[in-house]
Amino acid sequence: MNRSSKILRYVAKRLIQGIPIILAIVVMNFFLLNLAEGDAVDVLAGEAGSATPEYMEEMRKKFGLDKPLPVQLAVYLKNVVQLDLGRSHRHDMPVTELIVDRLWPTLLLMTSTIMLAVGFGILLGLFAAINLNTWKDAMISVFALITYATPLFWVGLMMIILFSIKNDWFPTSGMENSAAFYEGLDRVKDIAHHLVLPTITLSLFYLALYTRMMRASMLEQYGQDYVITARAKGLTERRITFVHVLRNALLPVVTMAGVQVGALIGGSVIVESVFAWPGLGMLAFESLFARDLNLLLGIFLLSSVLVVAVNLVVDIIYCFLDPRIEVN
Amino acid sequence: MKLPKFMNAVIMTAAITMGGSAVQAQQAGGSMVFLVQPEPPTMAGYVSTSGPIGLLGPKIYDGLFDYDNDGKMIPVLAESYDTSADGKTVTFNLRKGVTWHDGKPFTSADVQFTIMEVLKKVHPRGPNSFKEVSSIDTPDAHTAVFNLGNPAPYMLRALSAYESPMVPKHLLEGQDIKSAKLANNPVGTGPFKFTEWKKGQYIRLDKNESYWKEGRPYIDRIVGRFIPDASTRAAAMEKGEVLYAAYNAVSNVEAVRLNKEKDNISVTTDGYSMINPMALIEFNTKEGPFTDAVVRRAISTAIDRQYMIDTIFFGYGNPATSALSSNFAATGLHAEMPHYPATGDIAAANQMLDDAGYKKDSDGVRMKAMFDLIPYGEDWKRGGQYIQQVLGEIGIDVELRYEDVPTWLKRVYHNYDFDMNLNYFYQLSDPVLGVHRHYGTNMIRKGTHFVNSSRYSNADLDALLGAGMTEPDAEKRSAIYMEIQEILARDMPVVNLFELEFLTVYNTKLKGAYGSAMGAYSSFADAYLD
Repeated sequence: MNRSSKILRYVAKRLIQGIPIILAIVVMNFFLLNLAEGDAVDVLAGEAGSATPEYMEEMRKKFGLDKPLPVQLAVYLKNVVQLDLGRSHRHDMPVTELIVDRLWPTLLLMTSTIMLAVGFGILLGLFAAINLNTWKDAMISVFALITYATPLFWVGLMMIILFSIKNDWFPTSGMENSAAFYEGLDRVKDIAHHLVLPTITLSLFYLALYTRMMRASMLEQYGQDYVITARAKGLTERRITFVHVLRNALLPVVTMAGVQVGALIGGSVIVESVFAWPGLGMLAFESLFARDLNLLLGIFLLSSVLVVAVNLVVDIIYCFLDPRIEVN
Repeated sequence: MKLPKFMNAVIMTAAITMGGSAVQAQQAGGSMVFLVQPEPPTMAGYVSTSGPIGLLGPKIYDGLFDYDNDGKMIPVLAESYDTSADGKTVTFNLRKGVTWHDGKPFTSADVQFTIMEVLKKVHPRGPNSFKEVSSIDTPDAHTAVFNLGNPAPYMLRALSAYESPMVPKHLLEGQDIKSAKLANNPVGTGPFKFTEWKKGQYIRLDKNESYWKEGRPYIDRIVGRFIPDASTRAAAMEKGEVLYAAYNAVSNVEAVRLNKEKDNISVTTDGYSMINPMALIEFNTKEGPFTDAVVRRAISTAIDRQYMIDTIFFGYGNPATSALSSNFAATGLHAEMPHYPATGDIAAANQMLDDAGYKKDSDGVRMKAMFDLIPYGEDWKRGGQYIQQVLGEIGIDVELRYEDVPTWLKRVYHNYDFDMNLNYFYQLSDPVLGVHRHYGTNMIRKGTHFVNSSRYSNADLDALLGAGMTEPDAEKRSAIYMEIQEILARDMPVVNLFELEFLTVYNTKLKGAYGSAMGAYSSFADAYLD
């Protein structure tokens, strides 16, 4: 059997395996979330100022919150199987619509952050490893340590103070200019302008991680027997580094990037909050406090699907980075 | 300086005329971006009195009247009203030529439907405000006659766009009002029309070109922005990205700093007198350590209210002196009561507890209690810590508990599983609207939020509350509320701490937005950008 059809079969198999995993996640999330005191009706009524018990009973009935938990779960699962994520009680809108609305700002921030963090992380790690134990290496290590240890919200606020208030280079927050409402190409530029500070803030943390990882991974590979063999064959150091060592050293970094895609959705809550970026993390955070369980379950479902999918993609990238790894 | 009444009238008229001629100088156009915090769940101000809805709703929906900063009624959808001699019939003469944003005419049928079918049935406070309204007659399209069971003087204080928005009958009739589509696609008669809601970002309203008031609104567009982080909100204000932030959306500490450092940023405490917020402690009077009124009086005596205001709220607030806010003094419904020392008296409080036989043990502790704190931010945590310290000095050892909103609401208003609870209530524009719910036996309602969670019940007080509600004579009413305040200062099921002063931070570029007693909950029809 040739390689590509092997990969296709592998993908199909993994996808089928993913279904029970995702269902199990849904069921577990459902019970975990229901452990929290109070429900969406309590929050809505609390915000409204006051509401009669009859009114609250009626709302619970309308939302289906008056039924026993197993029944609620069965109803939810039935809907999920039909690809219906239900309605958000708080927003009074279909969950799918709310999530899709927030998905693209999330993806925008996530992709730009990963590209920046992984790209620069690999470069810096590589550079540090090549210049091992020189001042350049030390500088990079110190930089990585500081960015890794600094709390994200503080970095974000400092960015705003430095680059938005002291120097009028970037807007403080938001995704678009809400006084101007640009259209077309101007809108793209405007969004890119708003994207700069949150991306830098969020990627600084991950950048440090990838730099240190890449450096360690390079050093480990340098010690391997195949490097000695390559040197004995008379290859140049440049060729050894970029063709042999680099490709092998990338494997753990790619693994890490794959794992972190999932974490980025939730982990960006702080950055989304500081920069008022309308992403999924913030939506999940708010729905937790509003006890908007349908919406929360929908977000969790999406992120579990995303993690399963990204892991699959990472496994396939392995095959290309290292032909010795085979799918089966 | 005291002027004769007619002189006042002359000056007022002159001021109005001058105000009118200044209109030419006011510029039309521009976008006004302001902070809305947090993002509202919907825009159904006729179902929910939630704060962020109040910031946007009154720009879209009009009320029958608005109120100026002195509490005077300003005609909006009603041009005038007339109360019958017995106080049981109130006739509203409605403005002619008003249309809804979808072009349909606004008529007395809308008023009738709004009050009888919407506010009286699904609004959180409407059943109270319009309790006495038994029916509404509509002799013609521009006259609405309210028939009351008893006189209800307080009703005229609840006609603002925030408290009682007028909603379109043709878009709600025959539907389940709580789940009607109107909630997310509001259609009103107000100066601004709803255009777009980008969840997590902003709500955009555009000028209503056919607004009934000639030449208004001045501003082309109002955008309410949601910024979750408090420091970023202050930064956006500092940079001029947003021009207006009310209800402490910019925290006191930042507001004071911006006011001092920036020439173009100013603060005001105006615009909250109809809301009338009061910080307080609710006690569980049925179970636990605070069933004895002596202990509650001692706690009220010990707390240094001025200290709390100065150190935690940056000096914004006034010490409470009674169960009723001093803002009610204008209508003769406020008097200073005992056990409300502004600066606290630890020795007197200790003495009260000693005399009542509460002995200190070897650690100096008379009793232990759990103290729940309203989960609305750091200020309240600090307030709780201060009170914890003071109570320690009078031998009451309290442990603080800070939970998230739904857990806290359930604990206090559903399970009654608390000893004492730090909170704040809106006393609103009349005690009937904002205060009765806290003390009446009929307001002990399990599962309803912000009512009588102390489960305090006193037949004498109930009778007085009933009398205060229907008494049309101002002097007699004042006497009734005097007695009410005396009973509450003695029994203290709730200890009032201080009258909160919320801060509105604004960019001086925004003008004309400060004339209404409703403050941020007003229409902004007269606002303009300089």
